[in-house]
Amino acid sequence: MSDRLAFGTGASLIGGAETRAAQSLAAILIPIAAAGAALALVPLWLGGSRVLMGVAVLGLAFACYTIAFNVIFGSTGQLFLCVGALAGIGGYGGAILADTVGLPIVASILVATLAAMLIGGLLSFVAVRRSLGVIFTGIVTLIFSLSFDALVLGLSDLTGGDTGRLIRSGADTFLRERIPPYYLMLALVLVFLLVHGLLQRSHVGWAFRALRDDEVAAELAGVDVARYRVFAALIGGAMLGLAGSTYAFTEGRISPTTYGFGEVDVVVLVMLAFGGVGILFGPVVGAITFTIVDEILIEFGQLRQVAYGMLIILLFLRLRRGVIPTVASLWRRVRRREGSGGVESTDSAGGKPAVVSGETQPAE
Amino acid sequence: MIANILDGIVLGLQLGLLAAGLTLVYGLGGVLNLAYGQVAVISAMVVAFALDAGVPALPAVGLGLLAGGLLGLLLDLTILRPVYRLRGEARVLLSLLLTLGVSFIVDGFLNWRYPLEALTLRIGGGAVEILGVPMRRGSLVASAITLATFAGLFVFFRYTSLGRAVRSVIEDEEGARLVGIYPNWMLRLILIMSGALAALVAVTRSMVTPVDTTSGLSITVFALIVTVVGGLGNVAGAMLAGIILGIVNVVAADLIGTYISLIILLGAAAVTILIRPAGLLGVKE
Repeated sequence: MSDRLAFGTGASLIGGAETRAAQSLAAILIPIAAAGAALALVPLWLGGSRVLMGVAVLGLAFACYTIAFNVIFGSTGQLFLCVGALAGIGGYGGAILADTVGLPIVASILVATLAAMLIGGLLSFVAVRRSLGVIFTGIVTLIFSLSFDALVLGLSDLTGGDTGRLIRSGADTFLRERIPPYYLMLALVLVFLLVHGLLQRSHVGWAFRALRDDEVAAELAGVDVARYRVFAALIGGAMLGLAGSTYAFTEGRISPTTYGFGEVDVVVLVMLAFGGVGILFGPVVGAITFTIVDEILIEFGQLRQVAYGMLIILLFLRLRRGVIPTVASLWRRVRRREGSGGVESTDSAGGKPAVVSGETQPAE
Repeated sequence: MIANILDGIVLGLQLGLLAAGLTLVYGLGGVLNLAYGQVAVISAMVVAFALDAGVPALPAVGLGLLAGGLLGLLLDLTILRPVYRLRGEARVLLSLLLTLGVSFIVDGFLNWRYPLEALTLRIGGGAVEILGVPMRRGSLVASAITLATFAGLFVFFRYTSLGRAVRSVIEDEEGARLVGIYPNWMLRLILIMSGALAALVAVTRSMVTPVDTTSGLSITVFALIVTVVGGLGNVAGAMLAGIILGIVNVVAADLIGTYISLIILLGAAAVTILIRPAGLLGVKE
């Protein structure tokens, strides 16, 4: 594994691989459309089973969360350990607004999304203002997660406490049918991917890459690091709120574990690390893989957690850059060896991840 | 009010002891051990099994401490090897992720194999009056053990040459190496100590509330928060932060009520981190 450079600085875990900046629009749209078309076929295969469709919808929700986390952590290096809490603000907020306050469902979702967005932005603003490092941002957001958890358990009139809350609104609409929620969540995944792809391609993407690689250098080059960090957190927060809220309405029942730290944040971190941090399609690959792995391991019950633990360790010891860059780099190496008889390939395949990193997209 | 403050100090000493083992490893090695709570839980299980097998209480606790120390050593010899090759923030991140994996394995295994096992140490006798306030005997014994432990740590770090060697590594690793101290040996020693401290946390905690197989995560999280509030690598800071947060929590619980007090505790921790990122007794770098 040629990833000895990948841990050279603190930032390199965050920015596992580089994506080429000036991609054409088609280079973003075609893979997204292809992924969308492939995923759109899933109900043909699983559509008969309500349980399996539920699993698929949850998998897509996790893809949404992981894309949002990728925007915040992968792009700007802010370790937000409150993914579940922000999604929960969307979910609980939407449910309370629709059922208790009586707003229409769409309005409830939008207001809850706005709340998650502003809170995400606020957390980032505070972290940036106090120039907290990766770990301290992680701890402050973890504290926020725990506070949210305590609030959900405490305000049991509104949230249903430990047992959770049923959502009456939308019970008789397409939101609770077997197949339509899948396409709704899939649309969210594709829109989020598109937003992230367009961001990467715009001047914002340049700023993200600059500040992720070297914060000080970016600042010196005139990148307003604070502003771009808050911007990323606002977008990521909005994605989390929207996905969490939409998922709540399709599911019809939410409880603290729907958005818990162990159930969401840890899983999202593993999914992103598996797919590849900072890579556009990393979240999708990670979410699909782990949704399937989870289904396979379900019969092992409690031992599933043991398997997860081993996977995490293996992942971070062996596949630090994620599966997409590793596969891309292997593929590139094989192709090179075939093409040029293996003479020139030795120096470039030896230990320079940067050489292969432009090729991350085609691997998907 | 006096009752609140006494209760707060009891809780605070618990929190401080919780953080002591974590903060030492972080301060010395830049390693964030998220399996810390799981080390405590395994040690608690060892004590519980020993008690079930008819071993008297004190030797059983001794076995638990031994188990904690061995687990610390095991972590040092296995999963932390690749971590030591890195520096700075990358080291912290990798240690955090790998030990998170370890904590999953331990939690999953314990929940699968021993879902109902829990350690509860009952300290006999009725309540004891202190300053006119009746206190549970278990809390008092736990606090006494904690205070003795802190005193022991203080003496160790201040007056023994081994303790001074450890501190020299915390202050300046390169300098310590130049005067003939092996940082890696000191780190191994601290991991063993940290494991034993985690075991002690489990023992003192079990005198107040049962420690079961799911306690690991909350032990780690609270240890982490107190560690950061007290200043990384600072044992005295950990104790101070623990006592302050403990009093805040108990007073808030009395004045306002249950779940808000936890939020106030967390809020106080967040505010401290934001105002003094180096921690209460930390020195700004």
